[in-house]
Order: sequence, then structure tokens, then C-alpha cells
Amino acid sequence: MRALADVTGETLRSWRESKGWDVPRMARELRKAARDTGEDVAAHHGLVKMIPQWERGGRAPRERYRLLYLKVFEDMAGGLSQSMAAGADLVMRFAEIRSHAASLPAPDEIRTLEAAALAKPRKTMTPAEIRARAAEAIIHLREVAAKIAELSALLGDDAVGEAES
Amino acid sequence: MSARDDEIRRVVAELDAHMAAVEASVAALKAILADDEASIGEEDLS
Repeated sequence: MRALADVTGETLRSWRESKGWDVPRMARELRKAARDTGEDVAAHHGLVKMIPQWERGGRAPRERYRLLYLKVFEDMAGGLSQSMAAGADLVMRFAEIRSHAASLPAPDEIRTLEAAALAKPRKTMTPAEIRARAAEAIIHLREVAAKIAELSALLGDDAVGEAES
Repeated sequence: MSARDDEIRRVVAELDAHMAAVEASVAALKAILADDEASIGEEDLS
């Protein structure tokens, strides 16, 4: 993914110009590539504004746009294609992790479960063990949130999925 | 393999471990409820 970030605005401009495309055509190509993969991207007029900014280096395209550029210019990206695949894999893996984490019970659900377990007659665990289990689950849940934030920071804010307009 | 890639892999492995720990603890709590419900059912039958 680092290699994707290292593609300069000048490179983006040279790729576009080598095809003889003007900025509106580039915007259409990016939107077409996005449609093929079912991605949401900015509207045509938004891309027409952003592309010159990216090419001037005033701002860097976000992850999804860098991936789309590499898809459109796959032949020119050459050695970057492996990095592109690795980057896409990481983004997918991150999405899986977030989805898995979202399926975990919230702390209050764990507390409810703990209360239910304490309220019932039990043979297998003492009340202290039940409380310890619930506390342990909540501690690990907090670690999950912290690690997701850490991973998000490592991958860059693009992976968080904010909409760019 | 860059240091950043190594760091990402480390964090992903830790995340997987923490998520598994949450699931194990929750499963243990649910098992208590399930066991007790089963044993209460057995007592009703006896």
C-alpha cells in the first residue's frame, strides 16, 4: 500500500496524458472502473475538481481512488500491481475484522449475560469465576476497540471508509 | 516486507486473539445458562 501512496501527482498526470485524455475523460474512466467493482465514488463534477488537485500534488487521492487509478492504468502501473493487490487485500482484511468486531456483544450485553448467569443456579462456575469471565470479556473488548483504532491509523484514514465529495 | 507491514500483521494477530478471547468468555457465560437450563429441565423430568 505504501507503493500506492508513493505514486506522485506528476505520475498521475503523465498516465492520463499518455492516453490523450482530458480531465473530464479521466473522471469518466475512474467512475467506470468504480462501477465495475461496485464502489461508491464522487460525482463526475467532484472528480473533475479533484483530479487537477491530485495531479498538482495539492492533495493526495484517497485509497479507493489510488486503487481505481491503478486499475485504469494497470498496464502502466506494472510493478505496482503486486502492491495494489496487497493493498486491496489489507483493506478487505480490515473490513472483515471490523465486521467481526461489530458482531461481538457490547459491554452492557456482557453485563446482562453475567447477571443472568449469576441469577441462575449453577454447578460449573462460582459467582467469582462468572464475574471474572465477564470482566475479562469486557477488557478484551476494549482491547479490540483500541487495536482497531491502531490498525486504522496504520492503514491511513482511507480505510475507515469516509466519503469524499 | 516493510516494517509497516510487520506492524500491521502484529496488530491484526493481536486483534484476532482479543476477539477470540471475548468470544470464549461469552461462550463460557452462555454455556452456564444453557447447562443450568438443561439441568433444570432434567430435574423437572425426575
